[in-house]
Amino acid sequence: MNNIVEFSFMWDTFIHLLQFIPVTLFLAIISMVLASIIGLASAIVQLRNIPVLKQIATVYLLIGRAVPTMVMLYIVYFGLPILLLVFTDKTGIDTGYQHIPPMVFAIAGLTVHTGAYLAEIFRAAILSIDKGQMEAALSVGMTWFQGFYRIIFRQAALVAVPLLANQFLGLIKSTSIVFTITVIELLGGAKIASVETYRYLETYLVVAIMYWGISIIFEKLFLLAEQKLRIFKKEANI
Amino acid sequence: MIEFKDIHKAFGENKVLKGINCTIPTGSVTVIVGPSGSGKTTLLRSVNFLERADSGEIILDDFHLDVEKATKADIHKIRQRTAMVFQMYHLFKNKTALENIMEGLTIVRKVPKAAAKEKAIYFLEKVGLGHKANAYPHELSGGQQQRIGIARALALNPDVILFDEPTSALDPELVGEVLEVMKKVAQEVNSTLVVVTHEIAFAREVADHVIFMDGGVIVEQGPPQEILNHPKEERTKQFLSRYISLVEYNI
Repeated sequence: MNNIVEFSFMWDTFIHLLQFIPVTLFLAIISMVLASIIGLASAIVQLRNIPVLKQIATVYLLIGRAVPTMVMLYIVYFGLPILLLVFTDKTGIDTGYQHIPPMVFAIAGLTVHTGAYLAEIFRAAILSIDKGQMEAALSVGMTWFQGFYRIIFRQAALVAVPLLANQFLGLIKSTSIVFTITVIELLGGAKIASVETYRYLETYLVVAIMYWGISIIFEKLFLLAEQKLRIFKKEANI
Repeated sequence: MIEFKDIHKAFGENKVLKGINCTIPTGSVTVIVGPSGSGKTTLLRSVNFLERADSGEIILDDFHLDVEKATKADIHKIRQRTAMVFQMYHLFKNKTALENIMEGLTIVRKVPKAAAKEKAIYFLEKVGLGHKANAYPHELSGGQQQRIGIARALALNPDVILFDEPTSALDPELVGEVLEVMKKVAQEVNSTLVVVTHEIAFAREVADHVIFMDGGVIVEQGPPQEILNHPKEERTKQFLSRYISLVEYNI
């Protein structure tokens, strides 16, 4: 026990912490999916200039991108129950806010934060598609939605994938702050483990390696997705 | 038949169409010529509401449409009865040549996939590109892309096909192949063809009716021999002089 870094301890910690990886992935993937829906919706609302919804989207982007993730988490964690409480008081509908697990607040907070960034990614990706593509879709008699879904979205997706990968890797790392609202994920689990042994450096080194491993796997997955989408596109030689 | 009644369109202060009145008979090949900025492309695009005119009436056979009052459903209906060939081709970049033609058939016309594919192959062969069925647009030359654009329009069997300067973006060497296909189409197809073009020779050979536009109005219209060989208006003569002199110097 006199080495600076105890490898056997690190191995044990690694095995112990494996159980928290699903929590981290669950948080990241669910938040990403929900944020994609919000982001896409708010990008479309902005591009189509839909009154009222457009203003809501603008305010959302202003707030969503300006508030630090952790502050956003706290606001959701402390604010949402109060909102639900008032709602229950006024309408008499029981929302059961006392029983909502912290995981829900964590996902809500991460979703609100990530959605604002995704909105801009989607907007930029959609804007990068030649407007003639939509005109062609309309000219063969498609509705706007058919043209958007079948033609524009699929081309824009290719543009968006590298940026989505960036955002998702960032999100995986952002999940590490949700232990502040009592959700035990990878970092939370490590914190608890390290307190028992006082071996902080080893524990955090293991955590770093584990985040790194997860990131690499997803990086490769996104690359694969990009290659799969790329079949219709010429390779750019720059 | 397409009839325009007093069509007006302005982009901000710039009045592009200043009261267009004309009738394009069913099954005819009508060529619209005129200098840049004369409003011919805007007029063409106002038919399928890619550009919405400010006022006037558009009549497509039995379908009367007051431009100002046209609803989403009206616009959708008129788009289903027309097709367009674009200057920049605008093939769906994420679809193969075959899928480009099938798209409108399966999604809009609800033709079963197998039948749509058969039809798409038929039209691909008609434009001489049967061997390129599985190529993506970026793998094709401009001329090939435009021929597929024409096949995409033909496959829908629309009442009207609108050609928006179909050869203007092409290499001079590729213009011929596209015009060749268009001539074939003009002879074989029953649809009304409206062609905005700078190819005066094509107009002379293929058109039934020529419209000369300038400054947002129709200056002159009539059979091609009349308009192109013996124009009455000074402006038409002036515009055509460039083309005529080209012919004269062609030894």
